[in-house]
Amino acid sequence: MKRPADIIYCFLLFLLQLVISDYVHLGPWITLCLLPLLILQIPRSRSPHVVMLIAFGLGLGLDILSDGVPGLNAFAAVLAAAPRKFFYRLLVNADRQDKTEVPLLRETGLLKYLKYLGVLTAIYLAAYTLVDCISVRPLGYIAAKFLISWVASTALCLLLALPIQNRS
Amino acid sequence: MKNRYGLLSSLTAIALFIVLETVAILMVVNGSVVQRYKVLGAVRSIESWFWARTSKLTYHLNYKTENERLAAENLQLRQQLAGYAAAQAQLDSVVRIIEPEYTYIGATVIRNSVDRQHNYLILDRGEKEGVEPGMGVVTARGVVGIVSAVSRHYAYVISLLNTEQSVSAKLAGSGAFGPMTWPGKDPGRAVLAEIPVHIEAAPGDTVLSSGFSTIYPPDIPLGRVIESKISQGSSQELSVALFEDFRSLHNVYIVRNNRGEEIQELYEKAR
Repeated sequence: MKRPADIIYCFLLFLLQLVISDYVHLGPWITLCLLPLLILQIPRSRSPHVVMLIAFGLGLGLDILSDGVPGLNAFAAVLAAAPRKFFYRLLVNADRQDKTEVPLLRETGLLKYLKYLGVLTAIYLAAYTLVDCISVRPLGYIAAKFLISWVASTALCLLLALPIQNRS
Repeated sequence: MKNRYGLLSSLTAIALFIVLETVAILMVVNGSVVQRYKVLGAVRSIESWFWARTSKLTYHLNYKTENERLAAENLQLRQQLAGYAAAQAQLDSVVRIIEPEYTYIGATVIRNSVDRQHNYLILDRGEKEGVEPGMGVVTARGVVGIVSAVSRHYAYVISLLNTEQSVSAKLAGSGAFGPMTWPGKDPGRAVLAEIPVHIEAAPGDTVLSSGFSTIYPPDIPLGRVIESKISQGSSQELSVALFEDFRSLHNVYIVRNNRGEEIQELYEKAR
């Protein structure tokens, strides 16, 4: 995230997340989240400390600006950001030969990218849905909401990852 | 040396993770809407300005529905007025000045959420118009929520569509009452609980506000019973279809209970 174009892309992603949170009413069964994709955009060279702090800031910013429950997105974002490096090594790049600062579809292939994005989105949404609904909603509802949101969010993130595939 | 640095880095990363997650969870648990609203005063002002304009646009697009609703409300008020005029004629020999128990402040919804577990609204009336935290918000078709925080020109309302909110409600026929809450799924459905099993509640029965709290006036129609089921063997849980369509809320009334303070003082003394 060094070039101005990358920063603008991330800013637009965050703005889109705000618009989705504020204006796109899809009902109580679905939560669309783009923060996992934003977490993927933090360069790999950044230390876990920086990654977690950025994720916390993004989550808290979203909580405040979209009038959500304060801390809810921040909690989920840090939980997804912390094991980012571990899952990258496990699912995408076992030989540890980093080519680009950010994982790109054309570099990793669709399946690996989808696995990586899917796992981070799953961690994020599991934390978000559990904290938001625990003790007020039955487990079946929580599981259904998580599954629907996970499929929709992963698909949307994948779609939004396409415009940046040509960068070097 | 390198190993030692690596270990230290891992330990500080774990410590940072624990600190950040603890801070986030504490915020979720103790999340004060009031603090959030006040701390971000400047941001709120800009957002509210923007919301007020987008709300106007939505309103213009929904003119027909809103006009039909206001016409129906007008008709109902006219009928009530006719009733009062007839009563006044019978009381013309008695001169009494009665302070009404409730007074209303008209407001427009400039921001409304219905898809979350903790929904909220923002109204275009604030401290300047006499709005205070704790006041109820209603329409002719139901209860909307409670004012949680106010700025000079705007009020933040915790919606009835919030899993932590409840309103005291009663059945129109029997008068049996209990807390009505929103279960968190459908914005058009609520649950009226703690109705004794011997009370007959049939589908179609009207549910009204009980007036047992100092927040909402009594007898505001809230919804209609759809079905009932026995809960924990000792009481009924009624599923209620709300009259108010929260998705198209626009004009609301903020309720001031003129005797609220007196009731509260009495309550404090009794404690």
